Amino acid sequence: MEQFCEITLDRERLKSEIRSTYSLVAETPTGDFHFHRGPEYAARQLGYDGEELSMLPGASTASFAGVGNPFRVREMPSGAFVIDLGSGAGMDCLLAGRRVGRQGRVLGVDMTDAMLDLARTSAGKADMPQVEFAFGEITDLPIDDASVDLAISNGVINLAVDKPAVFKELYRVLKPGGWIQFADIVIDQELSEKARNDIDLWVG
Amino acid sequence: MMQAVGFQRCAATEFFDCFAGTTKENTARKYGVRGANFIAYKQ
Repeated sequence: MEQFCEITLDRERLKSEIRSTYSLVAETPTGDFHFHRGPEYAARQLGYDGEELSMLPGASTASFAGVGNPFRVREMPSGAFVIDLGSGAGMDCLLAGRRVGRQGRVLGVDMTDAMLDLARTSAGKADMPQVEFAFGEITDLPIDDASVDLAISNGVINLAVDKPAVFKELYRVLKPGGWIQFADIVIDQELSEKARNDIDLWVG
Repeated sequence: MMQAVGFQRCAATEFFDCFAGTTKENTARKYGVRGANFIAYKQ
């Protein structure tokens, strides 16, 4: 049975706090945050290939703050159009770009300008013209209907208050036969109403 | 939630102890907070 908990927090303030936190991560990835960052964490705790990460521009991996590893779910087909919801500094987009090749296309969408700047610079350094980035929110993607082969995301959907809207939007942009392979946070226990509406707990 | 909008063959495929070693490790263990990989298809 589907269950949806009521969320009454100030959504605009939450978005502002998310932008502020991830701008700090982009500018100072070694700063004091409650979540891990960086390529060593990605390799040690999430099963990324450390050797492959070492081949990417350091700025794209230093600010990585994912919670799982979408690349362990399923192989990505060469030539596919892949989107990344909340692409951050672009590490997963660059890895996807290596898999789809120059016949494919990767579009990362993020709402934090500092992360977009890092990601675009890294795609240029990596000489991956097939990897692009766009400003946008994951409930209103700047993407045509039924145009995407597969969507990835890593630790971002949990930050959306209206999660059904995210999945509706993903369903809209995917081609028939397309799929999502993503990582995010799960919790075994229902949180109190107070905790569900505490922006500090959402963002950290 | 994914099935409600039309996705099929939805599955969690792997779990990650992504908060181990952070300041939130104890809180994450208390509430069972983990990272997880998922897959789901649009028919």
